[in-house]
Amino acid sequence: MAASVVDDLEQRASGKEEALSAWLRARRRVAIGFSGGVDSAYLAVLARRTLGADNVLAIIGRSASYPAEQWATARRVADSFDVMVLELDTDEMNDPRYAANPANRCYFCKTELWGKLVPAAAERGFATVIDGTNADDVGGYRPGMQAAEENAVASPLAEVGFTKEEIRARSRALGLPTWQQPASPCLSSRVPYGTSVTPERLRLIERAERAVRDLGVAGDMRVRYHDDVARVELTPAELSAWLHPRRAEALRAAVTAAGFSRVALDLRGFRSGSLNVLHGVTTA
Amino acid sequence: MSIFTSMGQAESRRRADQLAASLAQMGVPCKVEPRAALAVLMVESGVAQRLADGELRRAALALAREQGFTHLAVELAPPADGADATLPRP
Repeated sequence: MAASVVDDLEQRASGKEEALSAWLRARRRVAIGFSGGVDSAYLAVLARRTLGADNVLAIIGRSASYPAEQWATARRVADSFDVMVLELDTDEMNDPRYAANPANRCYFCKTELWGKLVPAAAERGFATVIDGTNADDVGGYRPGMQAAEENAVASPLAEVGFTKEEIRARSRALGLPTWQQPASPCLSSRVPYGTSVTPERLRLIERAERAVRDLGVAGDMRVRYHDDVARVELTPAELSAWLHPRRAEALRAAVTAAGFSRVALDLRGFRSGSLNVLHGVTTA
Repeated sequence: MSIFTSMGQAESRRRADQLAASLAQMGVPCKVEPRAALAVLMVESGVAQRLADGELRRAALALAREQGFTHLAVELAPPADGADATLPRP
């Protein structure tokens, strides 16, 4: 990236960080829906720096759809930056409306999450609850945002116009290990709509993704569940190398060892919301 | 909505066969398994590697789109000769 472009990004991101700090100061105490992803990690750390340790509570909602590796990242960030954490178990898997996996599945998940998290925050004196939705998320197909609205959860990153690129830039500046972490939505996003979500299927997907990572795949990657077939999406930059016969066999062997019977490599490569396109919910 | 949600099995099969024929003409002989809007290519050993060529891959994706498939994936078949899966080292 050219130096002037980097300077512009830094300047823009710093300006938005000032606006975000002002937003946080006006609320004095905040609880954050905290996953350990790029957005909520940045938000939690900035809130901690802005408001102090006693005025920020990062709340993790744990369930089968939340990858163990993501939880470990969340704890590591919280420990390193002295962010107070509360963990709650969420039970969306036992909601038949969620398990049936309709196109608005995220609405039921977030309804369960915020339905537990907001009262837990209030009990501890946190009247303001915020999430890591950013400006790039607004306008996409995200039924979970409706649940946030219904529970009066604010999205300050989106409000001040922070994009993902800017969040990564400021995360890097603050020394967050998440600054170049790939996006990591919940494991249920790998299951096509209409195919039921079960803890067993999510564990299978998680094992398969771990196996692919263990082969050295570093960029954005998903293992999509198609019954007996695992459809692996890699970034276009990594895709060609994994079509080499020996690498392809290593990939096949790793994913079948994780529990799938067949493995297919997607020829377009990783795309966020891939299954929305598959079902015509959004266009390619 | 995806066109495949309202399509019968016969039409889905016809589109898959048409895609297989077009890919064969391009030098990618295969069978195509339609799974709604996903087409899974089943190829003989060594054919998948041809799709490492970005231009060929883009052409294959365009052919798939022409037949209404939004996703195209190639199945990684086990090696016929029992070759090991040791990764080439840099």
